[in-house]
Amino acid sequence: MTAIEVRGLTRRYSGGFEAVRGVSFDVERGEMFALLGTNGAGKTSTVEVVEGLSRPAEGSVRVLGHDPFAERKVVRPRMGVMLQEGGFPPDLTVSEAARMWAGTLTSPRPVDEALSLVDLAHRASVRVKQLSGGERRRLDLALALLGKPEVLFLDEPTTGLDPESRRNTWELIRALLREGVTVLLTTHYLEEAQALADRLAIMHRGRIVAQGTVSEVVDAYPSRISFVPPPGIALPVVADVESSGRVTVRTNELQSTLHELLVWAQHHNVELSGLDARSASLEEAFLAIAEEAA
Amino acid sequence: MRAVAVGQAELKLFWRNRTALFNSLLLPLLLAPVLYSVDADGVPLVVGLIGFALLMAVYYNLVTTFVARREELVLKRLRVGELTDPEILAGAALPSVVVALGQMVLYTVVVGVITGVALPARPWFLLLGVLGGVAVFVLLAAASSAFTRTVEMAQVTSLPVLMACMLGSGLIFPLSVLPGGIASVLKYLPLTPVLELLRAGWADGPVLQPLIVLAVWIVLGTYAVQRWFRWDPRR
Repeated sequence: MTAIEVRGLTRRYSGGFEAVRGVSFDVERGEMFALLGTNGAGKTSTVEVVEGLSRPAEGSVRVLGHDPFAERKVVRPRMGVMLQEGGFPPDLTVSEAARMWAGTLTSPRPVDEALSLVDLAHRASVRVKQLSGGERRRLDLALALLGKPEVLFLDEPTTGLDPESRRNTWELIRALLREGVTVLLTTHYLEEAQALADRLAIMHRGRIVAQGTVSEVVDAYPSRISFVPPPGIALPVVADVESSGRVTVRTNELQSTLHELLVWAQHHNVELSGLDARSASLEEAFLAIAEEAA
Repeated sequence: MRAVAVGQAELKLFWRNRTALFNSLLLPLLLAPVLYSVDADGVPLVVGLIGFALLMAVYYNLVTTFVARREELVLKRLRVGELTDPEILAGAALPSVVVALGQMVLYTVVVGVITGVALPARPWFLLLGVLGGVAVFVLLAAASSAFTRTVEMAQVTSLPVLMACMLGSGLIFPLSVLPGGIASVLKYLPLTPVLELLRAGWADGPVLQPLIVLAVWIVLGTYAVQRWFRWDPRR
């Protein structure tokens, strides 16, 4: 079953600038879908329309089968949102801010539970203005979870978090996914998308330029083998040579190319120092796509 | 009433904000002698104090509140929740309105006891004036906030409404001292019909025209808020 359905979404700002140009994607129930892209690619502009903050200039959006803008009353109680930049009154304490939010919800979970989920229970009586940037992100996440959402929107949820908090947040998101929550994530941490997302789309200048599972997106790009060969030796494979003497071999068949190379090296008693072989990563795909599209 | 949750939070913020406390609670007390010197009769003093409560505790306070919450991205955050837009605005306005109503009751009782003002003969006009006045100045505050970039700028952007209402609505001096032509134009300011209705609570006076003017201001205010109100900061 489809939780989010976006068809031909276009968003224009009052100046006439088209931030999103004909974007389409589906997010299935219980799945995490990640929107990736460079800054200004249109991720947040897209997500804001899906959240129902604004009406699309063209195209249509359905969240749990409803129009999130026109049928806000029906959709909102079933979704939770963490904005890229959301605010809380600086002079409220953490628990006051959370209690205020809980008071606006149809069926909130206990405030203490929500704060514990994001490891903020020990900061409950601290004023919002005294929180660190990472703690403020976690408070925002706690509010997004307060309504026990079926669909969760996370706009760069781990920006500003230290590595440990980031890992904890990932664990929390994984637990939510196991419970069947649908998540639409935007991030510019590619390893975050690689670690969590079932499927993803890469946006560039308002369009989706690649879409699929992580491996579908990544498989279109070659794997790499790199090493430093002894000087003056002829290699059995085509390779790019860097000024440092390190060479890089790009291949779509990592295993057989690597095998060929190793057999050759043993046969000729050649040492491949600093040998490094890796499948294409999301980062590589992402950079290549941004480069191609530029 | 889910908006009450926002109102409760706003009330806490109100008590933690010294400027707002001063403007709403102390300023009217400082003005009382000025108003009292204008006319030793109790009714104009009560009417004047209620007018000031509407201007300072409701209008001025709410311009700064709406701007502050917008710039803190609080309005944007609330807008992705379950509340409707009117509920968000009502929630943010709630404590200022409650405090203003409390002041009005207090002033009326205190001044009434001191000067021996009779109970209003037609209290429903008093009530209409107060409720209509609250509605108009909440709406005008929301509309003014759209043209106010920072909390500090509210001191400037609120001046047109504040000055026009203080000088032009018979708050500081009675309109009868002005030439007839000017006085008849000033009848259309937002505060004038409120004060006329308040006075009509005690003594015979025009009622229909102020009610119509007030209704028109509520419609205009609603339109202005729908047209111009900003939920996130200008970039």
